[in-house]
Amino acid sequence: MKLAFWKSALGSPAGRALLALLLVIMAGAIFNADGAFFKIGTHRDTLRQTSVYGILACGMTLVIISGGIDLAVGSVLALAAVCASKMAIHWNWPAWEVVPGCLAVGTACGALSGIVTAGLRVQPFIATLSMMVFARGIAKYASGGMKVSTVVQNADGSYRNVEVPPLFRAIDHSIFHGNVSVVTVIFLVCVAIAWVALSKHRWGRYLYAIGGNEEAARLSGVPVVGAKICAYVASGIFAAVAGICQAAQEQQGDPEAGVGYELLAIAMVVIGGTSLMGGRGGIGLTLIGVLTIGYLDKILSINAVPEAGRLVLTGIIIVAAVLTQRRGRT
Amino acid sequence: MRKQIVSALLAAISVFVLGGFGLESAAGRDYVIGMSQCNLGEPWRVQMNHDIKEAAAKHPELKVVFKDAQNDTLRQRSAVEEFINSKVDLLIISPKEAQPLTEPVARAMDAGIPVIVLDRAVLGDKFTCFIGADNVKIGKAAGQWIARKLGGKGKVVELEGLMTSIPGQDRHNGFREGIAGSSIEVIFQADMKWLEPDSRKEMESALSRFDRIDLVYAHNDPGAHGAYLAAKAAGRDNIIFVGVDALPQEGVAYVQQGILDATFRYPTGGAEAIDTALKILKGETVPKKIVLGTRLFDKNNVATGGEPLP
Repeated sequence: MKLAFWKSALGSPAGRALLALLLVIMAGAIFNADGAFFKIGTHRDTLRQTSVYGILACGMTLVIISGGIDLAVGSVLALAAVCASKMAIHWNWPAWEVVPGCLAVGTACGALSGIVTAGLRVQPFIATLSMMVFARGIAKYASGGMKVSTVVQNADGSYRNVEVPPLFRAIDHSIFHGNVSVVTVIFLVCVAIAWVALSKHRWGRYLYAIGGNEEAARLSGVPVVGAKICAYVASGIFAAVAGICQAAQEQQGDPEAGVGYELLAIAMVVIGGTSLMGGRGGIGLTLIGVLTIGYLDKILSINAVPEAGRLVLTGIIIVAAVLTQRRGRT
Repeated sequence: MRKQIVSALLAAISVFVLGGFGLESAAGRDYVIGMSQCNLGEPWRVQMNHDIKEAAAKHPELKVVFKDAQNDTLRQRSAVEEFINSKVDLLIISPKEAQPLTEPVARAMDAGIPVIVLDRAVLGDKFTCFIGADNVKIGKAAGQWIARKLGGKGKVVELEGLMTSIPGQDRHNGFREGIAGSSIEVIFQADMKWLEPDSRKEMESALSRFDRIDLVYAHNDPGAHGAYLAAKAAGRDNIIFVGVDALPQEGVAYVQQGILDATFRYPTGGAEAIDTALKILKGETVPKKIVLGTRLFDKNNVATGGEPLP
């Protein structure tokens, strides 16, 4: 009976993903760095650190399920971070203008990627690779190649300090007696939105259908082009949200932020069990994948494992987790 | 057909963009200086270009043409070759790597173009002048300041720059040299790869492991700033933060704001490069190697522009 329980638990992708997460957390309990792993602050930090990646992974999940990929998210994050800092610090815009402004930037980037991919039929890898380079360039251009920080240059070349905008302070804040970061709450809201879109909305079913077999989906009347463009738009919006969170946590907009984040987001999606071929997966799985990589990162960090060892271990564990996922899926 | 129109449009836009962003003519100047920067992704290098531009602006006879190699050695090699072909009067290069750029620099010298090498060296001696700072000295100055500040004992966190890079190793070794002989204990060290978000992560780990941390030494100012944000979020006061680089809009501003307690300048050498270039162009002899000193900024001297250290 016990065996049957385990068999059915491990028969589902969610069960296998949870197993990987459990193993990582157990490793943390064993290598607990003099008890640091058992402090509540450690878990708050883990969730805070992984939230930005997690928000990117939400958008990435939608795109990957539709059979695409979005390499531009790291660059769009940087662009949004630069825009958020420009608007909030230099131009003194209030939060209700900064947030929609940044989301508009993300929407525009996502729409461009989507139109080039779905409309002009360029492979998503190439289309979003171009957007990755393009958005990085715009971020550098908009920021003048410098970090947009609270130290603002005057006309005569000297510098003056300005206050950190209230929006940034509010996002980089902890609630519930300091035990949960606001960015983590934002991440969970993103997960909820993506979950509703994927599981409860018709558009979500379209994405699964397109990822499973695009031709069949088209023949059965699915608006393929529109649904795909929307997936990239959603990814752009999530990347913009992540960018605002990044800027708030750094108290500045760094045009170099987010380099390599797209690969981490893809790894989180895949570790959860969403198929890179499209058509299979879900946002719950991505949540588990995000936690797995987040905790892995934290455990290596509190034990002060040297960089070389971290990279090697992370590589091995990602492959191991993906192999676990594949077992039984024949 | 539609595709062709789209491509033609894109091509037209690129030409327009390129035209708008930096192609200028060099006519009407006495001397043209080519400046090959290895990448403009780091604020420090942006500052270097800025310093060169500012210093050159005081000399109307100079015209500086900047090229950014975008952190790509081969691209930088092409930039040097382009400068040789366009027969600039002098070349300033801040090379990405020594070995692959040694020969292009030598070819410029063969073509009769004097070369000033900034910050990172090339191999051999086929260049006119090298200008750079010494990270070991800076790390040592930081270590000695820290030992004095803590009264010779205390628990320190070291947040390292990329430890596979020479500046990271030098700032580490110099620091250890500076605190040698004191009872200062480095309780946590981690590689934050010069990145602020990574530094904040590592500092959070250090904070959850150790209840007492007296001081944080980060190999650059963004790293120190990230550590400060981590400590503040955790409600931990009474930690001293020390950084390196002291860019005006970064480290120096952080000291002014009371975020960092001290930062040590890693000079860009931009202004010195223009001074030296003028001497070379006027036929004066210049030393083969110029080592720049550092400058300490703390709350006592930040208003007066810091204190030079030998």
